[in-house]
Amino acid sequence: MGEHVLRLREVGVDYRTPAGVVTAVSDVSLDVPATGLTVLAGPSGSGKSTLLRVSSLVERPTRGGVELRGMGTARLSSAARRGLRRRDVALVFQNPADNLIGHLDVGDNLRAAAQAAGRAVEVDELLTRLGLPGTASWKVSAMSGGQQQRLAFGCALARQASVVLADEPTSQLDTSSADLVLETLSELARAGVPVVVASHDPRLIALADTRFDLRNGALVA
Amino acid sequence: MIAGYRSLVQIPWRAAPRAALSSPLTLLVSVVTALLLSFVVAAAVLHSAASGSAAIAYQQDQLCTEALHPSLESTVGVPHEYVAQGVRELTDAMPGERMLIGMYTREKRADFGGAQTYAKFGYRPGAMDHLTVLQGGGKDGLWVPQSIAVTTDLRLGERGMGGRLPPVTAVYADVIDPLPEWWCSERHFVVPNVLDRDELASAVVWMPSAESFYDLPPEVAGPTDVTVRFPADVPRTVDEAQALLTEGTARIAPIADGFNRTISPLVLPVENARQTVVNVRSAVLPLTLISLLIGLAGVATVTAQWAQRRRPELRLLWVRGAGPLALGGRGVLELGLPLVVGGALGLGAARLLLPAYAPSELLPPGTVTTAALAVVVVVVALSLVVTFATAALRTHREFQVAGRGNRLRAVLTALPWELATAAIAVWAWNRVEHSGLATMTKIGGLPRIDAAALAFPLLVVLTAALLTARLTKWALAASHRVSLWSKPAAQLAIRRLAAGAGPVTGVLLVGVLAVGTMAVGTAVAGSQKTALEVKSGMYTGANTYAQIGPDVTELPEPLRGNSTIVGFVKQYDRTALVVDPKTFRDGAFPVDIDPALLDEPLRVGSAPRRQVQLPGLPPLEPTAWVPSFPKLGTSGWVVPVDRISDRDDVGSWYVWSSKPLREVTEALSAAGVKMSRNADEKEKAVQGLPFLTIQWTFGFVTALGAVLAVVASIALLLAVEVRRRQNALSGAFSARMGLGPAAMLRSHLLELGAVAAGAVLVGLAASAVSSGVTVPKLDPAPRLTPTPEVPDLLPLLLTTAVGGVLVVLGAAWIAVRSVRSAKIGELIRG
Repeated sequence: MGEHVLRLREVGVDYRTPAGVVTAVSDVSLDVPATGLTVLAGPSGSGKSTLLRVSSLVERPTRGGVELRGMGTARLSSAARRGLRRRDVALVFQNPADNLIGHLDVGDNLRAAAQAAGRAVEVDELLTRLGLPGTASWKVSAMSGGQQQRLAFGCALARQASVVLADEPTSQLDTSSADLVLETLSELARAGVPVVVASHDPRLIALADTRFDLRNGALVA
Repeated sequence: MIAGYRSLVQIPWRAAPRAALSSPLTLLVSVVTALLLSFVVAAAVLHSAASGSAAIAYQQDQLCTEALHPSLESTVGVPHEYVAQGVRELTDAMPGERMLIGMYTREKRADFGGAQTYAKFGYRPGAMDHLTVLQGGGKDGLWVPQSIAVTTDLRLGERGMGGRLPPVTAVYADVIDPLPEWWCSERHFVVPNVLDRDELASAVVWMPSAESFYDLPPEVAGPTDVTVRFPADVPRTVDEAQALLTEGTARIAPIADGFNRTISPLVLPVENARQTVVNVRSAVLPLTLISLLIGLAGVATVTAQWAQRRRPELRLLWVRGAGPLALGGRGVLELGLPLVVGGALGLGAARLLLPAYAPSELLPPGTVTTAALAVVVVVVALSLVVTFATAALRTHREFQVAGRGNRLRAVLTALPWELATAAIAVWAWNRVEHSGLATMTKIGGLPRIDAAALAFPLLVVLTAALLTARLTKWALAASHRVSLWSKPAAQLAIRRLAAGAGPVTGVLLVGVLAVGTMAVGTAVAGSQKTALEVKSGMYTGANTYAQIGPDVTELPEPLRGNSTIVGFVKQYDRTALVVDPKTFRDGAFPVDIDPALLDEPLRVGSAPRRQVQLPGLPPLEPTAWVPSFPKLGTSGWVVPVDRISDRDDVGSWYVWSSKPLREVTEALSAAGVKMSRNADEKEKAVQGLPFLTIQWTFGFVTALGAVLAVVASIALLLAVEVRRRQNALSGAFSARMGLGPAAMLRSHLLELGAVAAGAVLVGLAASAVSSGVTVPKLDPAPRLTPTPEVPDLLPLLLTTAVGGVLVVLGAAWIAVRSVRSAKIGELIRG
């Protein structure tokens, strides 16, 4: 892996709405370092979630290109993009429950995440690392929101992805639960996992190794 | 513990069948959808197969069930001295075969110890066990029929022909119509036909043994007729009938040369039954396919709702690299088992409910385990494919090409399906107009059934349903212009309808189709049933007829008030009836005619033009006329009996009765009235299979309509249940704003009642129009009057209305209950 895990070049995203074309992201170019915590900061509607979806190869940009580990993705087929997502990308959604499979227990959620990337996972060890020891056989619904979101990052770790991207991971959590997530993010960054987070949470922004501010879909200096 | 990461099937897919348990409602709806779908196709197969059995059963009722096996007759008069040797050769040629050989001499002058008479002699093993003994009963002597005994001063124990005949040991009651089954095939030989003086007219004097028959004195022996029957089990299905025919034909082939007649009564019935199966199958095919499409659309809807409910998981799997195909497979793994279970239950239900919808409970072996199972497997496989495709397309559209809009739905919605079905309906109407329904390829055969012609009324209903759905969709889209806030219950009902435009149009579409299909099915099936009944009655003239002599002018006591005597005159293509105006309406098939018209000569068919002269009748110059008349149909003359000068000059005389044949012949026999063999009931006078084929077909159409009605009702209830939260919230807010519980209930009743009433009204109107124009054209016997008419549909209307009201009340209760239960909690949370 080079110096940067993700490189965005003049990325623009437009949406067609009944009221006309709306530009959500406008010509954004940025490089995400291969280590540490990178935060896309900005108020609601600034385009950070859109940029995160584009960065995670979930959505194609209208203009510009995204490079993942030095590979251009603009001309890739859907299947090739899925292959990259499968092996190299882990995305954590805002709502903790959306990151887990409700009818599987905690251990199987970790195994399923690893399996999707074609990798193996040591469940008990990872749960201990996440501060959730002895919960492997728990139902997901038995966990608090904070625990669920930590488990979601655990799934990302189990996938051993090249980059972990998270969209407002603390926005739906109370303060103590959010603290657990912040702790997890710090640990990930310390462990050298490149993490990209879209957030307007000041405490999370304060943890950033690299920070990009967005306003109205564009980067601000 | 390291997880095996090279597993072929990943955990979310492996755990999918168990995940289905997390949503019992989806599970239930999937099972029920597959059950109904599988029921419809399995029932179509079983119904078609059962119609073959019903066709066989119906035709066998018209035949002699004791002689369905191919049999042989020698009616040229074998010299009596050769009979014994012939019978021996027969039994030697077929050792061990169950054969029933009947032997009958022709009439000769004979005596039984008293006065001389004409008599014929016979022997058939077991005959004496199937006769009603009036005197005596010893089986070692002659059994003489009562009709001979009363005219010959007969005494038991005496020996006729100078002592060369065995002694008379019994007097038995003449065998008359309707015959006991054992005698049926021997009717020509055993039933006395005293009005026709031919060589076979008298009843049989039965000999005690074959040897005594062979040893008859030469004066009474002479030419002998021989019948060889092969008792066999009555076949119940087409295959059994075919087997009996094939094996029987092969069995009698080696001995057939010695006989002048080979009788194979099952040849045409088997052919007709096979044709019936084809006719019914092709006729129910269009609606079955439509139902199949509706069912598969239901499966797609269930899958779409599943994808909506499982959206977070599907998105997670997609983000992790799963493609639409894999996610389609995820849907199949979760919904597949319920679909398979539903399919199996549908097949079971179709078999169990067979007596309720099919014309016969008897199926050819393997019908359930091969044909029905095969179509159910295909349909379940189709359901799985639809589930897979829907889940895959949905995830593709939702995640892979998000934001591009649903072009497929837009195209499908924009296509003018109703114009296409209307065009097909016009084409089908052309087939109705030029239908080959009445074209028989052979005498006694079935008319050609044009499946396209039979589909016309259903196509009209389908077009009406699609048009209604389209107009409703447009109306609901424009309904925001309606402002009825002075009547808040109505305004809220309209807004709710508009908010649920998709489900509303869907329920309306299936509802119109269900009501229309049931009405069409009931109308056409009922019309055929009535047409067969009325045409048979008009053809024979009465429920029962029996030919009598011209000397009978008074009816026996048991037949007074329910019978009449009519004379029949025929010359070339001119026919006339001599009627007794006082009793005619007692015995004739009910006909709408002014009784006073019968007092004068009457023209049938058209206005009188000129005087006519028919043999035995006075010159006829009637002034009045009627369009049709029993027995005469649409052409002939009716003459009051008091205009006849000599009854002997009239061609033939009959007793017409509303009573069953047995009561009529017994009454006539008891009164000593002489009869011919020309006696029967109207049920056996007309080949009813063409009518029954259409009746069975549309009976099944009615059953399918009932299934669709169940689907529409469940869909309406589910649509309300799915919208429970929205209903609860909006209802709670409306209540907060002052809408009373009664007004709220009224509003829901208005909303749901509009959908149900729309379905009932449009469905009934479409079916009334299409049935009205089709029923008179679907006439398998147009030469017989009258043409089929649409029956009274009021009972169906009432049943449908009551069913609709119950469903609406149930759905409204669900909606209001959700408002009441959610009022406080939902408002606080909101």
